[in-house]
Amino acid sequence: MKGQAVVVGVGESEYYKRGGSPETEFQLALKAITRAAEDAGLDPSEIDGLVSYMDDRNGPLRLSAALGMKDLKWSSTPWAGGGNNSSAAVQFADAGVSGGYANYVVAFRALAQGQFYRLGSFFAGARSAQGDASWRHPYGLLSPAQECALHTKRFMHDHGISQEALCDISLACYANAQRNPRAVRYGSPLTREDYHASRWIVEPFHLFDCCPENDGAAAIIVTTPERAKDLKGTPVPILAASQGLGPNIGTPSFQGDAFPGTFYEKVGETLWQRAGARPEDVDVLQLYENFTGPVLMALAELGYCEPGEVADFVANGALEGPEARVPFNTSGGNIGEAYIHGFEMVNEAVRQIRGDSTCQVEDVELSLAVGGPGYAPGSAVLFGRA
Amino acid sequence: MSRYLGDDFLVPVLDPGNTPWFTSGELRVQFCKDCGACQFPPEEVCTACRSHDQEFRSLSGEGTVESAVEVTFPVHPLLADRVPYNVAVISLDGAPGCNAIGNVVNRGPREVAIGQRVRAIFEESTDPNTGETMTIPNWEAI
Repeated sequence: MKGQAVVVGVGESEYYKRGGSPETEFQLALKAITRAAEDAGLDPSEIDGLVSYMDDRNGPLRLSAALGMKDLKWSSTPWAGGGNNSSAAVQFADAGVSGGYANYVVAFRALAQGQFYRLGSFFAGARSAQGDASWRHPYGLLSPAQECALHTKRFMHDHGISQEALCDISLACYANAQRNPRAVRYGSPLTREDYHASRWIVEPFHLFDCCPENDGAAAIIVTTPERAKDLKGTPVPILAASQGLGPNIGTPSFQGDAFPGTFYEKVGETLWQRAGARPEDVDVLQLYENFTGPVLMALAELGYCEPGEVADFVANGALEGPEARVPFNTSGGNIGEAYIHGFEMVNEAVRQIRGDSTCQVEDVELSLAVGGPGYAPGSAVLFGRA
Repeated sequence: MSRYLGDDFLVPVLDPGNTPWFTSGELRVQFCKDCGACQFPPEEVCTACRSHDQEFRSLSGEGTVESAVEVTFPVHPLLADRVPYNVAVISLDGAPGCNAIGNVVNRGPREVAIGQRVRAIFEESTDPNTGETMTIPNWEAI
């Protein structure tokens, strides 16, 4: 199934360590969006649609004024969770354009965790726990790292997976970040010894199993193939996108057959059906890693391998570099490039089709970006060649 | 019994769904009066048959550890002198598919094995804002 909308521009701010940005989050958002427009050859005032996720603080009223937008015709944001929606934002941009509701839709995410709170310490000031949180927080289960750790620990137990498989994910991200001058971890390589020597955050996650929290913004411009012809940007078709949510995972996501897991089976089923492709057809994979463990589960759920094969699938540098067996998180991902809530990985997936990645895979025809596994509804988007 | 993570650690805000769990002094889980399915946490409809006719039933108070991890980094300031501690997923005897979060209070942070059988205990607590008293279920290894 061929998508109707194309990505015609990508842009990002500089990426910083948390608290390192000299600009505000709103200014970072504007920089990413105007750079994406410049990349496309589009005057920002022509933008008529805005999509983000997780209640991005830089809302349509401020943005449309700051960008000089003449008429905002499409604004949308997917429900629930956080980084699970990084690819759903692209899907919504596709829907807005393909449905004829808007001509030039921006999908973006901006995060300045120095200016605002850290996502991982969202509940640090809480004295009580309401609703869903009341079942977890009084027991000291407060952060996504801890939630993902409980799933990962059981998955590793069930399938005989050692700590080395988690290390392999982190090493691949760090290795690829060494090729990318945008990456916050550029110039800071990681060894297997460094990994094992790093402190524990929550077993089985060491420090280097957890992505950092950063300041930055990333954006793309989505339009129709016809309009793209009048722009200078290389059009990159959105071949297929999907959201997915398995049956009855339970509100806090530790229930029944959904434990352990990352709830990505349905994301994969829908994506592969729409795309008419299979995992082995994909040339390069960006798979959201807030923590290393969910990557292992999501690889199995998306159909890359059986759960019992995951450790072998990622071992021996199978994910590192442009000539890897499965080129993975080629810009460094959340761990190595920057944690822009997964949207930096959308930009990288588009770049792989355009041929201008810093870790460019040869002859890329299909490039996949998968939103954050472990939270639902999940999402994924597959890009192809025009 | 005092609380595993300290008597001043954060408390649940009681609502109609969680009040049976946190105040009854036993493990009370929601069952559907029409189809018999159980669900946890409670919901305003039976997710198996869509019935609105549900009730809370008492369980035996035992369960099995499905996963457990050692938390080393204290996310909350009140946990700074409580780390490392354990957090576990516990499957509830008599309520198939229902898993609760808890701590295994009589085991070290790394000493909770998957498959460990556990028994409920109840930690007394008071909401400092409302004065409501609670019996927060938690677990000890059998």
